[in-house]
Amino acid sequence: MRVFVRILAPLLGLALAAVGVLGIVEIVTAWIQPDRGGDGLIVPWRAWQRVLDTQLWATTPVKITAIVVAVVGLLLIVAALTARRHDVPLRPPAPHVTVTTSPQALARMVGRRVRAADAVAGASVTASRRAVSVRAEGWEGTVTPPASDSPETSPATAGSSDIAQPGETPRLADTVRADVESLLDDLPLATRPRVAVSVRALGGPR
Amino acid sequence: MSELAVAPAADPRAERRARRAVARSAGRERRVVGIIGLLLLLVGTGTALLAFGVFGNGRAHRPVLDPIIVDALRANALLARIVALVVCVVLVVAGLVWAVRALAPERRPDLALDAGPDTSVVVTSSAVAEAVAGQARTLPGISRARARMVGDEREPALRLTVWLAEDADVAEVCRRIPDEVLAAATDAFGGRVLPVAVRIEADTAEGPRVR
Repeated sequence: MRVFVRILAPLLGLALAAVGVLGIVEIVTAWIQPDRGGDGLIVPWRAWQRVLDTQLWATTPVKITAIVVAVVGLLLIVAALTARRHDVPLRPPAPHVTVTTSPQALARMVGRRVRAADAVAGASVTASRRAVSVRAEGWEGTVTPPASDSPETSPATAGSSDIAQPGETPRLADTVRADVESLLDDLPLATRPRVAVSVRALGGPR
Repeated sequence: MSELAVAPAADPRAERRARRAVARSAGRERRVVGIIGLLLLLVGTGTALLAFGVFGNGRAHRPVLDPIIVDALRANALLARIVALVVCVVLVVAGLVWAVRALAPERRPDLALDAGPDTSVVVTSSAVAEAVAGQARTLPGISRARARMVGDEREPALRLTVWLAEDADVAEVCRRIPDEVLAAATDAFGGRVLPVAVRIEADTAEGPRVR
């Protein structure tokens, strides 16, 4: 959305300037050549005038145009409001230094850590400053999560929730969660995101 | 010298400038788009309410180009033309200013150092950027680094983007950047401390997966 707004802003500016130029041309032409026949120099505003003379406010084209204009305006407002940066802030190491990372970089770090486990065959991660969501698939039963990082004993995991999936293997979910929590412990994040883990157990040989 | 060699304990202005340096601001573009969107929403909603008869059926069944208004404009043709011309000129100027500002590249101010009353020393923005980025690349865990000056000559700041290798210790990198990279830059630039925005990215080169 940020890119969209960056592209749209100069286009809107140019459109406004073009409207202004057309207006100036037509006004000056009508002013210095009042007896000029036909329509406007560039814009057929006399034809538009004849249409608007007979068009009532209550007619369907006017209603549709009004609704379309309002919807476009609403979309522009939404675009402007949602074009914020989505940086993930880290704790500043010095007063004059700000450190941030991107949600994609955080997700990549988490993904690397999760995929490095023996029991994990693959994982997809989405991250923001508030939440990290991991969907992993792997095999049950070889890696035991460290006791200090287990969800039952770590206060940092309070509030996070696993998403129950058909065929979920709790030990694999705990392993993945422990890996993610361990990484978040290592990262100097300004606010610790919530962690949600869902896993899908794979059958068959590794 | 506008700033001291020793980093201030907590300078709100330096912190604010460091936050601003994180990325190019889109605030102006967002405001332009938001204001135009708000105007369109108001005009569209007002027109729809009028068309659906909320302000009375009599008004809804009048022509869009109301004869009363047309007659009033014809009666004051000179004033109407002048007002219309002024509005059009304002549209042209405002639209061009918005477009030019939105399309203008982000500034890269040079760094002016205090070298005495009769001497002026200016370090170009590219020299500052190359020196800081080169120093950052020497840190373990950083595979790539890019720096650039941002802001203006009066209030310059530095934006440093580092890409971390897979085995990097993020906390260690964060700790060593101000201690080693920025401290070296401060020494090199005559003790001037710049607000710095560090952007950490994970390098995309994937290592071998453990199975």
